[in-house]
Amino acid sequence: MADEAFVTLATTESYCMGATVVARSLQRHGTTRSIVAMVTPNVSQKSRLDLESVFDEVIVVDMMDSEDRYHLALLERPELGITFTKIHCWTLTHYSKCVFLDADTLVLCNVDELFERDELTAAPDPGWPDCFNSGVFVFKPSLHTHARLLDHALQHGSFDGGDQGLLNSFFSSWPHTDIAKHLPFIYNLSASSIYTYLPAFQHFGHNAKIVHFLGAMKPWSSHSQWEAGHSHTMRRFVSLWWREYDTQQHTTPPAPGKEPPHDSERTQLHTTPPAPLKEPSHDSERTQQVSTQDQEQEARMPFTEELDTSDSLLALSPITEEQRSLVERHREEFSHTGCTPVLEESKSSEREQSEDLKSLGTEDLKDSDTSAADITQQPDREQLERRRLWEAGHADYLGRDSFQNIQMMLDCFLE
Amino acid sequence: MLSNQCVQSRLWAGRRPEVTAADIKPAPNQCGTEAAAPFLCTHVHTHTLCCNCVKTCCSCCSCELHRRGVETILKHAAVLFEIAWEVANKVGGIYTVIQTKARLTAEEWGENYFLVGPYVESNVRTQVELIEPTNPTLKQTIDKMNSSGCKVYFGRWLIEGSPYVVLIDVAFTAWSLDSWKSELWDLCDIGVPWFDREANDAVLFGFLTAWLLGEFAAQSEEPPHIVAHFHEWLAGLGLVLCRHRKLPVATVFTTHATLLGRYLCAGNVDFYNNLGKFNLDKEAGDRQIYHRYCLERAAAHCAHVFTTVSQITAIEAEHLLKRKPDIVTPNGLNVKKFSAMHEFQNLHAQSKNRIQEFIRGHFYGHLDFNLDKCLFLFIAGRYEFSNKGADIFLEALARLNYLLRVNQSDVTVVAFFIMPARTNNFNVETLKGQAVRKQLWDTAHTVKERFGKKLYESLLVGQLPDVSKMLDKEDFTLMKRAIFATQRQSQPPVCTHNMLDDGSDPILNSVRRIGLFNSSSDRVKIIFHPEFLSSTSPLLPMDYEEFVRGCHLGVFPSYYEPWGYTPAECTVMGIPSISTNLSGFGCFMDEHIADPTAYGIYILDRRFRGVDESCHQLTSFLFQFCKQSRRQRIIQRNRTERLSDLLDWKYLGRYYVAARHMALAKAFPDFYLYEPHEPTSATGFRYPRPASVPPSPALSRHSSPRQSEGEDNADDDEHYDEDLEAEKDRVNIRQPLNMSSKTPLIYMGSGNSSAASSEKN
Repeated sequence: MADEAFVTLATTESYCMGATVVARSLQRHGTTRSIVAMVTPNVSQKSRLDLESVFDEVIVVDMMDSEDRYHLALLERPELGITFTKIHCWTLTHYSKCVFLDADTLVLCNVDELFERDELTAAPDPGWPDCFNSGVFVFKPSLHTHARLLDHALQHGSFDGGDQGLLNSFFSSWPHTDIAKHLPFIYNLSASSIYTYLPAFQHFGHNAKIVHFLGAMKPWSSHSQWEAGHSHTMRRFVSLWWREYDTQQHTTPPAPGKEPPHDSERTQLHTTPPAPLKEPSHDSERTQQVSTQDQEQEARMPFTEELDTSDSLLALSPITEEQRSLVERHREEFSHTGCTPVLEESKSSEREQSEDLKSLGTEDLKDSDTSAADITQQPDREQLERRRLWEAGHADYLGRDSFQNIQMMLDCFLE
Repeated sequence: MLSNQCVQSRLWAGRRPEVTAADIKPAPNQCGTEAAAPFLCTHVHTHTLCCNCVKTCCSCCSCELHRRGVETILKHAAVLFEIAWEVANKVGGIYTVIQTKARLTAEEWGENYFLVGPYVESNVRTQVELIEPTNPTLKQTIDKMNSSGCKVYFGRWLIEGSPYVVLIDVAFTAWSLDSWKSELWDLCDIGVPWFDREANDAVLFGFLTAWLLGEFAAQSEEPPHIVAHFHEWLAGLGLVLCRHRKLPVATVFTTHATLLGRYLCAGNVDFYNNLGKFNLDKEAGDRQIYHRYCLERAAAHCAHVFTTVSQITAIEAEHLLKRKPDIVTPNGLNVKKFSAMHEFQNLHAQSKNRIQEFIRGHFYGHLDFNLDKCLFLFIAGRYEFSNKGADIFLEALARLNYLLRVNQSDVTVVAFFIMPARTNNFNVETLKGQAVRKQLWDTAHTVKERFGKKLYESLLVGQLPDVSKMLDKEDFTLMKRAIFATQRQSQPPVCTHNMLDDGSDPILNSVRRIGLFNSSSDRVKIIFHPEFLSSTSPLLPMDYEEFVRGCHLGVFPSYYEPWGYTPAECTVMGIPSISTNLSGFGCFMDEHIADPTAYGIYILDRRFRGVDESCHQLTSFLFQFCKQSRRQRIIQRNRTERLSDLLDWKYLGRYYVAARHMALAKAFPDFYLYEPHEPTSATGFRYPRPASVPPSPALSRHSSPRQSEGEDNADDDEHYDEDLEAEKDRVNIRQPLNMSSKTPLIYMGSGNSSAASSEKN
């Protein structure tokens, strides 16, 4: 299927990180299609080279190269620049069919079946389900369509100022014609505060195939921001994203080969081999390797619940010198991660978290995270889950969280 | 005195009351200070208590030797921390409790008394003088905390008694909220939702106060005896942590109301009849307050001593927090004593005149009633229509109106409702009333001036004035015009303000239902003032205190009222009041006064009666009150005012003292001894029936309303001797005060002093 491809777009250095993850996650789930990145000229040479190591093709798109009349129009209406960049994917005519994936998505399983769909297939936008979300869509590259799109843009502009407005008004029949062109929501699960249908998320969330990190907060924004103010599930996605990204970082291949080396080889490059195991099949070995890395990863990224409480600020009195220095270290940690010690701020970030809590379920997602680490930490996980429910205001007050049980814990330290 | 107490202490010890030589022997003190013989003090029990702890135990002791012995011991005395979210931070009613109590406690504990509260900059700027910590240990503690990433301030709270305050900046340590929440979770499986700001503050405040206490204990050279008194659930977590960390702290927890009780009553639940039947976890959980409820109940469970503010709240706590309070600690007031004997009566007259002025304006054009026979009733408080009992008050007013009309009474009742609601400023009609009154006043003044001038001139020329010429045509025109201006088609308004939701307002709707529209045939008039009173108001320029003083009766038929400061305030101003046996105040008064009605404390039974019956009772109270003559009312006010000693912190403070002793004895059994004697029946003393016949006509010989003019008749003299009666009451108060502050717990348990009991018998 050499003439079909997944396409993504990186317009800044940080979106390159995202694009890398898109490619990696596609490869990990064994796609048979090519993976193409479009980059804008402002992206540095180094990043472009990095991308080349994971993508089958990296194409620089520059609007300045386009026809004169568009060029001129663009000079008058510079705000359309970004929109035009994305439209550029229709010029990839050496492919017969493509699936566009935004650089802020994360693929959770093999989605090659998308290529069975026609232009233009996309999933509804959570904010206005009569519009499709342009983060994931199937299209057929064609210069003709491309030209019509550009004309349309110059004539009518884009009602939201971005590509999604343009595409929706161009493919205006999408909401009411062919249902086959409607992708299920699980192909473009908006992991953001916009989405609020919690029960549905709980019920269907584990089927998710592609997660789309909508909104201003991107997984690559910073570890700490996510730690401070997002829900468990959200952090889970972000942690998955990082895992994917870090794998890539560790395994920057010595030579930018087209064919990425096999997973197990890569992980072995950087992880110390685990305790001798029975020689597993190639596949299972891979999972084990990955899982060790997962554990490592977990240790490297302390989620708030996993903070070691024994070095809490509030040490038992008398507070020793050592503890005090510890406290100071603790504080420094906080200030380093940009957590301003002001109540208002932490509140506001908590508020964000609230929205996410609403949006993301109280149920754990079935994701690639189900590794050995999970099973060994089962009781811990359960505790965390219970605490999380409490903190979301859903204590199981008629069951295990009844005061009777709390009183038993209190009585442990009261003589 | 000596023998009395001797006898009593022996009785308490379960021995025969025999005074022998053995009594003149030093009592065994643990601290080893033996006073030189002969040791005249016989406070056997006090010794074991006071030698290690508090000053007041013995400051009242008449025995000089004993006192000196005690003061040397005070060097390693205990330290008291009183911890509440409302220390120097007014949010609700707890502020008043702590603020008024501070003086007495500061007197008792002196340098060893510290209030702990949150640091709120605006409050600190206006109420607190920041100073260096006076106590070296505390200074080290605060320095240490400040160097470990906290912000702790020390100062004097500029209120009566100027106590020391330790103020903790909670927001400054917000960064450790998450780790503290984890710690809380590990400790007792209570999680705190991120969206409940108050609960998050409670977590921070709790951990910080526990830190403070722990650090203080660590900084002390020898193991200190700390008493920590926590108020309300917001401070409760600190207590739990103290117990968990096994700090050398004797803990007291006081709830002023239970969280769940408040919520249930607000939700119109038949609360008191179902007290034992609630599924607590479910009720709290369904109301989204489960975590707060858990914090409150955990604190109540962990405290060495648990207290509430009244008997009724004690019952509530027993069912809702599943712990019977160890002692009830009623709230007091700082009673202001006037040097002149009946100053409060004069103040009543002054303020009453001002209310009458307002009435003259409000009812202009309809002043067909005698203002001297007009009684002012009022209800005041937060606008909780049924919790505060406004519903049954209105119903009773309707019935009273009927009774007064049927009996052709010449008494007019004006009922004020002072309950702030959402308004859109004063209404025009009300303002106009006051303007018209002012105009009449001005007209009269102008005419008077002219009249006076003519009179003066005629006198100057040595002639007696010709009366017919004193007022000329112009004056009459002026006066006629003024009178015409007072004509009015409409009835005087019920509400003084433009209500924002007039149509759905519960008071106005009730008024519409019962039809009391201030018409001239109604003997009961209603004025709804939906705003707090202020001395700058153009309508009724009085502050709350002045207003209360000018009224005749406060009516507070609350359904849910853990303590009830409003009737207590009335009482200390010498204004009779109606409260209920569901309010802490009502319970307390009922317990302490044999015949509360005679003292102007009407207690409505809302606990064991239906609404209709209660309403009937309230009507009869009101009707009785209306039938009283002016003289009877004056006597009643005198009696009411005499009760103020009972509500003074000087008296009520003893319950707090007892609670702290109890906690010390529980936490440090090796050092302190506390002998409980049925502490819940803690009756300090009881006011007997007044010597003279009670002023209530229902109980007197008269069965019909009487002319107040008749009160000067000799046969109406009810043998009332104010001084004699007052003296008697004073004896009843004073004596137990001396004794019980020495041995508060023991005394209170034993009931009455022999003097008091002889009085009763």
